[in-house]
Amino acid sequence: MSEALEDLVARTALGDRAAFERLYLATRSKLFAVSLRIVRERALAEEVLQDSFVNIWRRASDYAAAKSAPMTWMTAIVRNRSVDLVRRTREEPDVDDTLVAGLADENAAPERDAAARADAHSLKRCLAELDPEQRQTIALAFFHGLTHSELAAHLRRPLGTVKTHVRRGLIRLRECLDRKGVSA
Amino acid sequence: MKLSRDAAEALAAEYVLGTLRGPARKRFAALAATDATAANAMRRWETAFAPLADALPPVEPSERVWRTIRAAIAPRAPGTPSFWKSFGLVAGGMASVFVAFFLWTAVAPTPEPVFVSMLMGPDNTARMEVSMYKPDVVRVKMMKPWKDMPGKGLELWVLPREGKPRSIGMVKNDMSETVIRIAENDPRVEGARGLAISMEPMTGSPTGQPTGPVLCSGTIAAVRQT
Repeated sequence: MSEALEDLVARTALGDRAAFERLYLATRSKLFAVSLRIVRERALAEEVLQDSFVNIWRRASDYAAAKSAPMTWMTAIVRNRSVDLVRRTREEPDVDDTLVAGLADENAAPERDAAARADAHSLKRCLAELDPEQRQTIALAFFHGLTHSELAAHLRRPLGTVKTHVRRGLIRLRECLDRKGVSA
Repeated sequence: MKLSRDAAEALAAEYVLGTLRGPARKRFAALAATDATAANAMRRWETAFAPLADALPPVEPSERVWRTIRAAIAPRAPGTPSFWKSFGLVAGGMASVFVAFFLWTAVAPTPEPVFVSMLMGPDNTARMEVSMYKPDVVRVKMMKPWKDMPGKGLELWVLPREGKPRSIGMVKNDMSETVIRIAENDPRVEGARGLAISMEPMTGSPTGQPTGPVLCSGTIAAVRQT
């Protein structure tokens, strides 16, 4: 699967519209889900998806396969666009706590190839090693695009405490991932 | 701005997580575009979090999303800025290129060419024929030169299957034939899938990559082993 996506990105870089359409068809529903969690409105998430794919079309020739997987590269474009857009429109964070709770669940994600499965497994193990509050703040921020203040409001914790949870959680996560030798 | 590894790491983590906001977010994005330490840290975090995004149940966007994207990337009138987009723009003339190729090979005497490619402009007019009969010579036969290009030259590029365009040399903007000598098994021609001409300064692109608009392009059906 990821090999096919790399091929489609490479063809897109050469201006192949048919390949670009196949790339869109292969990834749209995953990427739309990523954006929808963050921006929460379908119309806005569709705008994000449109902008992101126009960006992917234009930047495909800059994509370096050696540095990240195609889906990682495209997800980053969609997430960044979502985070940029949501700041202007968000009122109340709308949070799916089951998603957050399922984070340390070993069986939650059916990964495709062995390397991806191993990385997903390591990430889950490392998230499970965090304090529950650290894990929760990181998951809320990642899935729902909450800011520090939104996290504080949602968790009913002081802003400084939330910032500390995020910072320390990320440091511990990195240490754990390095220990497990996660790729990249 | 130069950051310590730890600082770059911490900023990258919060950037990818999404908690870095406002001007700090913009500053980090700008830094990552130029600073390798920041860029590497950012990619490492993107990769680390990739399984989380993959765990989300897919949601189908509406049909109109693709229609909007397709309209946004549709070919436009000449003068489109991006090199690759311009190539896509003229690649539509592909069918006629194949026809030209087969017609030629049907009537041509030996020797068999390595390739013959007709380069078409955005308006689908044939501009030049680029051919290679010998493993170390590229010939460009102009069919329709460009008018009103004072101080500008034509640079010929090979479009490889992967990676960036490779310059082959400058082409004369008149009805004469340009002969460009290359090395046998020249790596610039390897894996070629197309050719394009961009408008550049008389001395060639200052960056080694196309800077001006693409004036014409064509595909290469197959590069024979030489």
